[in-house]
Amino acid sequence: MADIVVPEGLWDTKKTPEGIVANWFYADGGDVPEGATVAELMVEKSTFDIPAPGAGRLHVIVAKDGVVRPGTVIGRINRV
Amino acid sequence: MSSNRIMTVSRAISEAIAQEMRSDPNVFVMGEDIGAYGGIFGATSGLLGEFGDARVRDTPISETAFIGAGVGAAMAGMRPIVELMFVDFFGVCMDAIYNLAAKNVYFSGGNCKVPMVIMMATGGGYSDAGQHSQTLHATFAHLPGLKVVAPSNAYDAKGLMTAAIRDDGPVVFMFHKGLQGLAWMASPEGAATELPEESYTLPFGEAKIVRPGKDVTIVAISMMVHHALEAANALARDGIDAEVIDLRTLVPLDRKTVIKSVAKTGSLVVVDEDYKSFGLTAEIITSVVEENPSYFKSAPRRLAVPDVPIPYSRPMEQFVLPDALDIAAAARASLGKAA
Repeated sequence: MADIVVPEGLWDTKKTPEGIVANWFYADGGDVPEGATVAELMVEKSTFDIPAPGAGRLHVIVAKDGVVRPGTVIGRINRV
Repeated sequence: MSSNRIMTVSRAISEAIAQEMRSDPNVFVMGEDIGAYGGIFGATSGLLGEFGDARVRDTPISETAFIGAGVGAAMAGMRPIVELMFVDFFGVCMDAIYNLAAKNVYFSGGNCKVPMVIMMATGGGYSDAGQHSQTLHATFAHLPGLKVVAPSNAYDAKGLMTAAIRDDGPVVFMFHKGLQGLAWMASPEGAATELPEESYTLPFGEAKIVRPGKDVTIVAISMMVHHALEAANALARDGIDAEVIDLRTLVPLDRKTVIKSVAKTGSLVVVDEDYKSFGLTAEIITSVVEENPSYFKSAPRRLAVPDVPIPYSRPMEQFVLPDALDIAAAARASLGKAA
Protein backbone atom coordinates (compact mmCIF):
# COMPACT_ATOMS: atom_id res chain seq x y z
CA MET A 1 0.00 0.00 0.00
CA ALA A 2 1.35 3.43 -0.88
CA ASP A 3 -0.17 6.81 -0.17
CA ILE A 4 -0.38 9.35 -2.96
CA VAL A 5 0.78 12.50 -1.22
CA VAL A 6 0.90 16.07 -2.46
CA PRO A 7 4.65 16.77 -2.21
CA GLU A 8 5.93 19.49 0.13
CA GLY A 9 7.41 22.46 -1.70
CA LEU A 10 5.46 21.77 -4.91
CA TRP A 11 4.33 25.39 -4.96
CA ASP A 12 4.72 28.55 -2.89
CA THR A 13 2.07 28.15 -0.21
CA LYS A 14 2.70 31.66 1.15
CA LYS A 15 1.28 33.01 -2.08
CA THR A 16 -1.35 30.34 -2.67
CA PRO A 17 -2.20 28.13 0.29
CA GLU A 18 -4.43 25.68 -1.54
CA GLY A 19 -4.85 23.88 -4.83
CA ILE A 20 -7.38 21.43 -6.21
CA VAL A 21 -7.37 18.00 -7.79
CA ALA A 22 -7.99 18.90 -11.42
CA ASN A 23 -8.17 15.41 -12.90
CA TRP A 24 -7.78 11.77 -12.02
CA PHE A 25 -6.37 9.86 -14.97
CA TYR A 26 -7.53 6.46 -13.74
CA ALA A 27 -10.91 5.40 -12.45
CA ASP A 28 -11.35 4.75 -8.74
CA GLY A 29 -10.58 1.03 -8.44
CA GLY A 30 -8.57 0.97 -11.67
CA ASP A 31 -5.16 -0.69 -11.99
CA VAL A 32 -2.28 1.76 -12.14
CA PRO A 33 1.34 1.08 -13.14
CA GLU A 34 4.12 2.53 -10.99
CA GLY A 35 5.22 5.98 -12.12
CA ALA A 36 2.18 6.63 -14.34
CA THR A 37 0.72 10.11 -14.10
CA VAL A 38 -2.22 9.33 -11.92
CA ALA A 39 -3.57 12.79 -11.14
CA GLU A 40 -3.18 16.44 -11.99
CA LEU A 41 -3.34 19.27 -9.47
CA MET A 42 -4.12 22.87 -10.24
CA VAL A 43 -2.78 25.82 -8.27
CA GLU A 44 -3.89 29.17 -9.64
CA LYS A 45 -3.58 28.39 -13.36
CA SER A 46 -0.52 26.12 -13.05
CA THR A 47 -0.88 22.37 -13.11
CA PHE A 48 1.28 19.66 -11.54
CA ASP A 49 1.38 15.99 -12.51
CA ILE A 50 1.33 13.47 -9.67
CA PRO A 51 2.99 10.09 -10.38
CA ALA A 52 1.80 6.81 -8.91
CA PRO A 53 4.14 5.85 -6.04
CA GLY A 54 3.65 2.15 -6.76
CA ALA A 55 1.73 -0.29 -8.90
CA GLY A 56 -1.68 -1.51 -7.82
CA ARG A 57 -5.32 -0.59 -7.48
CA LEU A 58 -6.21 3.07 -7.12
CA HIS A 59 -8.34 4.22 -4.24
CA VAL A 60 -9.31 7.88 -4.63
CA ILE A 61 -9.52 9.83 -1.37
CA VAL A 62 -9.83 13.41 -2.63
CA ALA A 63 -12.21 13.52 -5.59
CA LYS A 64 -11.85 15.75 -8.64
CA ASP A 65 -12.23 19.44 -7.66
CA GLY A 66 -11.39 18.66 -4.00
CA VAL A 67 -9.09 21.09 -2.17
CA VAL A 68 -5.52 20.01 -1.35
CA ARG A 69 -2.37 21.35 0.37
CA PRO A 70 1.15 19.98 0.43
CA GLY A 71 1.03 16.83 2.57
CA THR A 72 -2.56 15.96 1.70
CA VAL A 73 -3.08 12.27 0.97
CA ILE A 74 -5.22 12.38 -2.17
CA GLY A 75 -5.35 8.65 -2.78
CA ARG A 76 -3.84 5.26 -2.13
CA ILE A 77 -2.40 2.52 -4.29
CA ASN A 78 -3.27 -0.90 -2.91
CA ARG A 79 -1.12 -3.77 -4.04
CA VAL A 80 -3.26 -6.32 -5.87
CA MET B 1 1.42 -0.91 -21.50
CA SER B 2 -1.60 0.37 -19.62
CA SER B 3 -4.70 1.20 -21.60
CA ASN B 4 -7.13 1.96 -18.80
CA ARG B 5 -5.94 5.54 -18.45
CA ILE B 6 -8.72 8.10 -18.70
CA MET B 7 -7.06 11.00 -20.42
CA THR B 8 -8.23 14.49 -21.24
CA VAL B 9 -8.40 15.80 -24.80
CA SER B 10 -5.49 18.17 -24.17
CA ARG B 11 -3.27 15.29 -23.04
CA ALA B 12 -4.41 13.15 -25.95
CA ILE B 13 -3.30 15.87 -28.37
CA SER B 14 0.07 16.46 -26.71
CA GLU B 15 0.70 12.69 -26.54
CA ALA B 16 -0.03 12.30 -30.26
CA ILE B 17 2.38 15.14 -31.04
CA ALA B 18 5.08 13.70 -28.74
CA GLN B 19 4.84 10.25 -30.33
CA GLU B 20 5.13 11.69 -33.84
CA MET B 21 8.07 13.89 -32.76
CA ARG B 22 9.84 10.79 -31.41
CA SER B 23 9.39 8.88 -34.66
CA ASP B 24 9.94 11.70 -37.17
CA PRO B 25 12.67 14.33 -36.67
CA ASN B 26 10.93 16.61 -39.20
CA VAL B 27 7.98 17.18 -36.88
CA PHE B 28 8.19 20.34 -34.79
CA VAL B 29 5.85 22.77 -33.04
CA MET B 30 5.57 26.56 -33.21
CA GLY B 31 3.26 29.10 -31.65
CA GLU B 32 2.57 31.52 -28.84
CA ASP B 33 3.07 30.13 -25.33
CA ILE B 34 3.40 26.58 -26.59
CA GLY B 35 6.75 26.02 -24.82
CA ALA B 36 7.09 26.51 -21.07
CA TYR B 37 3.38 27.20 -20.72
CA GLY B 38 2.41 24.11 -22.73
CA GLY B 39 -0.15 25.92 -24.86
CA ILE B 40 -2.81 28.04 -23.26
CA PHE B 41 -5.24 25.14 -23.64
CA GLY B 42 -2.69 22.46 -22.80
CA ALA B 43 -2.27 20.97 -26.27
CA THR B 44 1.54 21.06 -26.11
CA SER B 45 2.11 20.38 -22.42
CA GLY B 46 5.32 18.53 -21.62
CA LEU B 47 6.81 18.85 -25.11
CA LEU B 48 9.45 21.50 -24.37
CA GLY B 49 11.03 19.40 -21.62
CA GLU B 50 11.37 16.34 -23.83
CA PHE B 51 12.28 17.91 -27.16
CA GLY B 52 13.90 21.25 -26.37
CA ASP B 53 13.40 24.71 -27.78
CA ALA B 54 14.68 23.98 -31.28
CA ARG B 55 11.69 21.71 -31.91
CA VAL B 56 9.19 23.40 -29.60
CA ARG B 57 9.47 27.02 -30.57
CA ASP B 58 7.76 29.85 -28.75
CA THR B 59 7.06 32.65 -31.18
CA PRO B 60 6.43 36.37 -30.87
CA ILE B 61 2.83 37.56 -31.20
CA SER B 62 2.84 37.68 -34.98
CA GLU B 63 0.60 35.07 -36.51
CA THR B 64 1.36 36.54 -39.91
CA ALA B 65 5.03 35.63 -39.45
CA PHE B 66 4.85 32.23 -37.81
CA ILE B 67 1.97 30.75 -39.82
CA GLY B 68 3.81 31.92 -42.94
CA ALA B 69 7.02 30.37 -41.62
CA GLY B 70 5.12 27.13 -41.07
CA VAL B 71 4.03 27.04 -44.71
CA GLY B 72 7.61 27.58 -45.83
CA ALA B 73 8.97 24.93 -43.47
CA ALA B 74 6.37 22.43 -44.70
CA MET B 75 7.24 23.11 -48.34
CA ALA B 76 10.93 22.64 -47.48
CA GLY B 77 10.28 19.14 -46.13
CA MET B 78 9.46 19.65 -42.46
CA ARG B 79 6.19 18.71 -40.76
CA PRO B 80 5.29 21.74 -38.67
CA ILE B 81 2.45 21.88 -36.19
CA VAL B 82 1.60 25.52 -35.75
CA GLU B 83 -0.78 26.70 -33.06
CA LEU B 84 -2.91 29.72 -33.85
CA MET B 85 -4.15 29.78 -30.23
CA PHE B 86 -7.74 31.01 -30.84
CA VAL B 87 -9.40 30.40 -34.22
CA ASP B 88 -10.66 33.97 -33.87
CA PHE B 89 -7.12 35.24 -34.58
CA PHE B 90 -7.02 33.94 -38.17
CA GLY B 91 -7.64 37.39 -39.62
CA VAL B 92 -4.01 38.50 -39.60
CA CYS B 93 -2.65 35.28 -41.14
CA MET B 94 -5.38 34.09 -43.47
CA ASP B 95 -3.34 34.77 -46.59
CA ALA B 96 -0.78 32.21 -45.45
CA ILE B 97 -3.55 29.73 -44.67
CA TYR B 98 -5.92 29.95 -47.62
CA ASN B 99 -3.77 31.38 -50.40
CA LEU B 100 -0.49 29.61 -49.57
CA ALA B 101 -0.98 26.48 -47.43
CA ALA B 102 -4.23 25.51 -49.13
CA LYS B 103 -3.29 26.27 -52.73
CA ASN B 104 0.43 25.74 -53.20
CA VAL B 105 0.14 22.04 -54.00
CA TYR B 106 -2.25 22.94 -56.84
CA PHE B 107 -0.19 25.88 -58.08
CA SER B 108 2.94 23.77 -58.21
CA GLY B 109 1.30 20.96 -60.17
CA GLY B 110 1.60 18.70 -57.15
CA ASN B 111 5.33 19.31 -56.75
CA CYS B 112 5.22 21.28 -53.48
CA LYS B 113 3.22 19.59 -50.78
CA VAL B 114 2.38 21.44 -47.57
CA PRO B 115 2.30 18.83 -44.78
CA MET B 116 1.33 21.20 -42.01
CA VAL B 117 -1.05 21.11 -39.06
CA ILE B 118 -2.61 24.39 -38.01
CA MET B 119 -4.23 23.81 -34.64
CA MET B 120 -6.50 26.22 -32.87
CA ALA B 121 -8.95 26.51 -30.02
CA THR B 122 -12.62 27.03 -30.78
CA GLY B 123 -15.87 27.58 -28.99
CA GLY B 124 -17.57 29.59 -26.31
CA GLY B 125 -19.71 29.11 -23.26
CA TYR B 126 -17.39 30.73 -20.73
CA SER B 127 -17.94 34.48 -21.24
CA ASP B 128 -14.90 35.27 -23.35
CA ALA B 129 -16.90 37.42 -25.79
CA GLY B 130 -17.04 37.81 -29.53
CA GLN B 131 -13.35 37.66 -30.44
CA HIS B 132 -12.50 34.57 -28.35
CA SER B 133 -15.58 32.35 -28.56
CA GLN B 134 -16.23 31.52 -32.19
CA THR B 135 -15.87 28.15 -33.88
CA LEU B 136 -15.74 29.39 -37.49
CA HIS B 137 -16.12 25.81 -38.73
CA ALA B 138 -17.59 26.87 -42.04
CA THR B 139 -15.08 29.65 -42.67
CA PHE B 140 -12.31 27.06 -42.98
CA ALA B 141 -14.40 24.20 -44.38
CA HIS B 142 -15.50 26.47 -47.22
CA LEU B 143 -12.01 26.90 -48.63
CA PRO B 144 -10.70 24.20 -50.99
CA GLY B 145 -7.36 22.66 -50.13
CA LEU B 146 -7.72 22.40 -46.37
CA LYS B 147 -8.82 19.41 -44.35
CA VAL B 148 -10.74 20.40 -41.24
CA VAL B 149 -10.92 18.24 -38.12
CA ALA B 150 -12.90 18.87 -34.91
CA PRO B 151 -12.87 15.97 -32.42
CA SER B 152 -15.34 15.58 -29.57
CA ASN B 153 -13.29 13.36 -27.26
CA ALA B 154 -9.78 12.29 -26.30
CA TYR B 155 -9.70 9.00 -28.24
CA ASP B 156 -10.69 10.72 -31.48
CA ALA B 157 -8.38 13.67 -30.79
CA LYS B 158 -5.30 11.45 -30.52
CA GLY B 159 -6.09 9.39 -33.62
CA LEU B 160 -7.03 12.42 -35.70
CA MET B 161 -3.98 14.44 -34.60
CA THR B 162 -1.65 11.57 -35.51
CA ALA B 163 -3.37 11.33 -38.89
CA ALA B 164 -3.14 15.11 -39.32
CA ILE B 165 0.62 15.14 -38.70
CA ARG B 166 1.18 12.27 -41.16
CA ASP B 167 -1.07 13.85 -43.81
CA ASP B 168 0.78 15.33 -46.76
CA GLY B 169 -1.57 18.32 -46.99
CA PRO B 170 -2.53 21.15 -44.64
CA VAL B 171 -4.90 20.13 -41.85
CA VAL B 172 -6.82 22.59 -39.71
CA PHE B 173 -7.16 20.91 -36.30
CA MET B 174 -9.88 22.57 -34.23
CA PHE B 175 -10.10 21.64 -30.56
CA HIS B 176 -12.91 23.00 -28.41
CA LYS B 177 -11.71 24.75 -25.25
CA GLY B 178 -14.56 23.30 -23.23
CA LEU B 179 -13.55 19.73 -24.15
CA GLN B 180 -9.86 20.01 -23.29
CA GLY B 181 -10.25 18.88 -19.68
CA LEU B 182 -8.51 21.92 -18.28
CA ALA B 183 -8.69 22.41 -14.55
CA TRP B 184 -10.18 25.89 -14.91
CA MET B 185 -12.87 25.06 -17.44
CA ALA B 186 -15.43 22.31 -16.87
CA SER B 187 -15.74 19.73 -19.62
CA PRO B 188 -18.58 17.28 -20.21
CA GLU B 189 -18.46 13.64 -19.10
CA GLY B 190 -17.28 11.68 -22.08
CA ALA B 191 -14.74 14.21 -23.37
CA ALA B 192 -12.00 12.43 -21.43
CA THR B 193 -11.81 8.78 -22.52
CA GLU B 194 -9.74 5.67 -22.13
CA LEU B 195 -6.68 6.32 -24.22
CA PRO B 196 -4.41 3.67 -25.72
CA GLU B 197 -0.70 4.22 -25.02
CA GLU B 198 0.33 3.21 -28.51
CA SER B 199 0.12 5.44 -31.55
CA TYR B 200 -2.88 5.04 -33.90
CA THR B 201 -4.65 7.00 -36.60
CA LEU B 202 -8.30 7.56 -37.38
CA PRO B 203 -9.35 8.14 -40.98
CA PHE B 204 -10.64 11.55 -42.04
CA GLY B 205 -14.15 11.65 -43.46
CA GLU B 206 -15.62 8.90 -41.30
CA ALA B 207 -18.42 10.05 -39.03
CA LYS B 208 -19.23 8.01 -35.97
CA ILE B 209 -22.71 6.95 -34.89
CA VAL B 210 -22.25 7.63 -31.20
CA ARG B 211 -25.79 6.58 -30.34
CA PRO B 212 -27.86 4.41 -32.68
CA GLY B 213 -31.58 5.18 -32.89
CA LYS B 214 -34.55 4.85 -35.22
CA ASP B 215 -36.81 7.90 -34.76
CA VAL B 216 -34.75 11.01 -35.51
CA THR B 217 -31.21 11.74 -36.67
CA ILE B 218 -29.20 14.37 -34.76
CA VAL B 219 -25.99 15.44 -36.50
CA ALA B 220 -23.34 17.34 -34.52
CA ILE B 221 -19.63 17.97 -34.19
CA SER B 222 -17.19 18.91 -31.43
CA MET B 223 -18.88 20.22 -28.24
CA MET B 224 -22.36 19.88 -29.72
CA VAL B 225 -21.99 16.08 -29.80
CA HIS B 226 -22.17 16.10 -26.01
CA HIS B 227 -25.26 18.31 -25.97
CA ALA B 228 -26.83 16.05 -28.61
CA LEU B 229 -26.19 12.97 -26.46
CA GLU B 230 -27.71 14.69 -23.44
CA ALA B 231 -30.74 15.57 -25.57
CA ALA B 232 -30.96 11.98 -26.81
CA ASN B 233 -31.05 10.72 -23.22
CA ALA B 234 -33.86 13.15 -22.39
CA LEU B 235 -35.74 12.09 -25.52
CA ALA B 236 -35.33 8.42 -24.60
CA ARG B 237 -37.25 9.07 -21.38
CA ASP B 238 -40.16 10.18 -23.59
CA GLY B 239 -39.88 7.08 -25.74
CA ILE B 240 -38.10 8.84 -28.64
CA ASP B 241 -35.12 6.91 -29.97
CA ALA B 242 -32.62 9.41 -31.41
CA GLU B 243 -29.59 8.52 -33.51
CA VAL B 244 -26.63 10.82 -32.82
CA ILE B 245 -23.88 11.25 -35.41
CA ASP B 246 -20.51 12.82 -34.61
CA LEU B 247 -19.11 14.07 -37.92
CA ARG B 248 -15.54 14.28 -36.48
CA THR B 249 -14.23 15.96 -39.63
CA LEU B 250 -15.84 18.76 -41.65
CA VAL B 251 -13.50 18.24 -44.60
CA PRO B 252 -13.72 15.58 -45.84
CA LEU B 253 -17.40 15.36 -44.91
CA ASP B 254 -19.05 11.98 -44.41
CA ARG B 255 -22.34 12.68 -46.15
CA LYS B 256 -23.07 8.98 -46.66
CA THR B 257 -23.48 8.16 -42.99
CA VAL B 258 -25.90 11.06 -42.57
CA ILE B 259 -27.91 10.17 -45.66
CA LYS B 260 -28.17 6.53 -44.60
CA SER B 261 -29.37 7.57 -41.16
CA VAL B 262 -32.03 9.96 -42.47
CA ALA B 263 -33.22 7.29 -44.93
CA LYS B 264 -33.90 5.21 -41.82
CA THR B 265 -35.33 7.84 -39.44
CA GLY B 266 -36.98 10.33 -41.81
CA SER B 267 -36.23 13.21 -39.45
CA LEU B 268 -33.12 15.37 -39.16
CA VAL B 269 -31.83 17.92 -36.66
CA VAL B 270 -28.42 19.44 -37.34
CA VAL B 271 -26.66 21.31 -34.57
CA ASP B 272 -23.55 23.46 -34.88
CA GLU B 273 -21.82 25.99 -32.63
CA ASP B 274 -20.90 28.10 -35.66
CA TYR B 275 -23.06 30.86 -37.15
CA LYS B 276 -26.25 29.62 -38.72
CA SER B 277 -26.27 31.08 -42.20
CA PHE B 278 -24.07 29.66 -44.98
CA GLY B 279 -22.73 26.96 -42.69
CA LEU B 280 -22.48 23.30 -41.70
CA THR B 281 -26.16 22.95 -40.88
CA ALA B 282 -27.24 23.99 -44.38
CA GLU B 283 -24.55 21.82 -45.96
CA ILE B 284 -25.73 18.70 -44.14
CA ILE B 285 -29.40 19.27 -44.92
CA THR B 286 -28.65 19.99 -48.59
CA SER B 287 -26.58 16.82 -48.85
CA VAL B 288 -29.62 14.75 -47.92
CA VAL B 289 -32.04 16.77 -50.07
CA GLU B 290 -29.81 16.38 -53.11
CA GLU B 291 -29.68 12.63 -52.58
CA ASN B 292 -33.40 12.09 -52.10
CA PRO B 293 -35.85 14.65 -50.71
CA SER B 294 -38.43 11.93 -50.10
CA TYR B 295 -36.33 10.61 -47.22
CA PHE B 296 -37.76 13.43 -45.13
CA LYS B 297 -41.02 12.72 -43.33
CA SER B 298 -40.84 16.21 -41.82
CA ALA B 299 -38.92 19.42 -42.49
CA PRO B 300 -35.28 19.21 -41.39
CA ARG B 301 -34.31 21.53 -38.55
CA ARG B 302 -31.11 23.31 -37.70
CA LEU B 303 -29.69 24.84 -34.56
CA ALA B 304 -26.73 27.19 -34.60
CA VAL B 305 -25.65 30.65 -33.42
CA PRO B 306 -28.25 33.06 -34.82
CA ASP B 307 -25.92 35.25 -36.91
CA VAL B 308 -24.83 37.57 -34.11
CA PRO B 309 -21.39 37.96 -32.50
CA ILE B 310 -21.11 35.78 -29.36
CA PRO B 311 -22.18 37.95 -26.40
CA TYR B 312 -20.01 38.45 -23.32
CA SER B 313 -23.00 38.50 -20.96
CA ARG B 314 -23.46 34.99 -19.60
CA PRO B 315 -27.26 34.82 -19.94
CA MET B 316 -27.08 36.24 -23.45
CA GLU B 317 -24.30 33.87 -24.45
CA GLN B 318 -26.15 30.86 -23.04
CA PHE B 319 -29.20 32.02 -24.99
CA VAL B 320 -27.48 32.05 -28.38
CA LEU B 321 -25.50 28.80 -27.98
CA PRO B 322 -27.48 25.64 -28.81
CA ASP B 323 -27.91 23.32 -25.82
CA ALA B 324 -29.50 19.98 -24.99
CA LEU B 325 -32.92 21.53 -24.32
CA ASP B 326 -32.91 23.26 -27.73
CA ILE B 327 -31.90 20.04 -29.46
CA ALA B 328 -34.50 17.92 -27.71
CA ALA B 329 -37.20 20.51 -28.51
CA ALA B 330 -36.19 20.54 -32.19
CA ALA B 331 -36.23 16.74 -32.32
CA ARG B 332 -39.71 16.61 -30.76
CA ALA B 333 -40.97 19.27 -33.14
CA SER B 334 -39.62 17.34 -36.13
CA LEU B 335 -41.69 14.38 -34.95
CA GLY B 336 -44.78 16.54 -34.54
CA LYS B 337 -44.68 16.43 -30.75
CA ALA B 338 -44.97 19.26 -28.26
CA ALA B 339 -41.62 20.68 -27.12
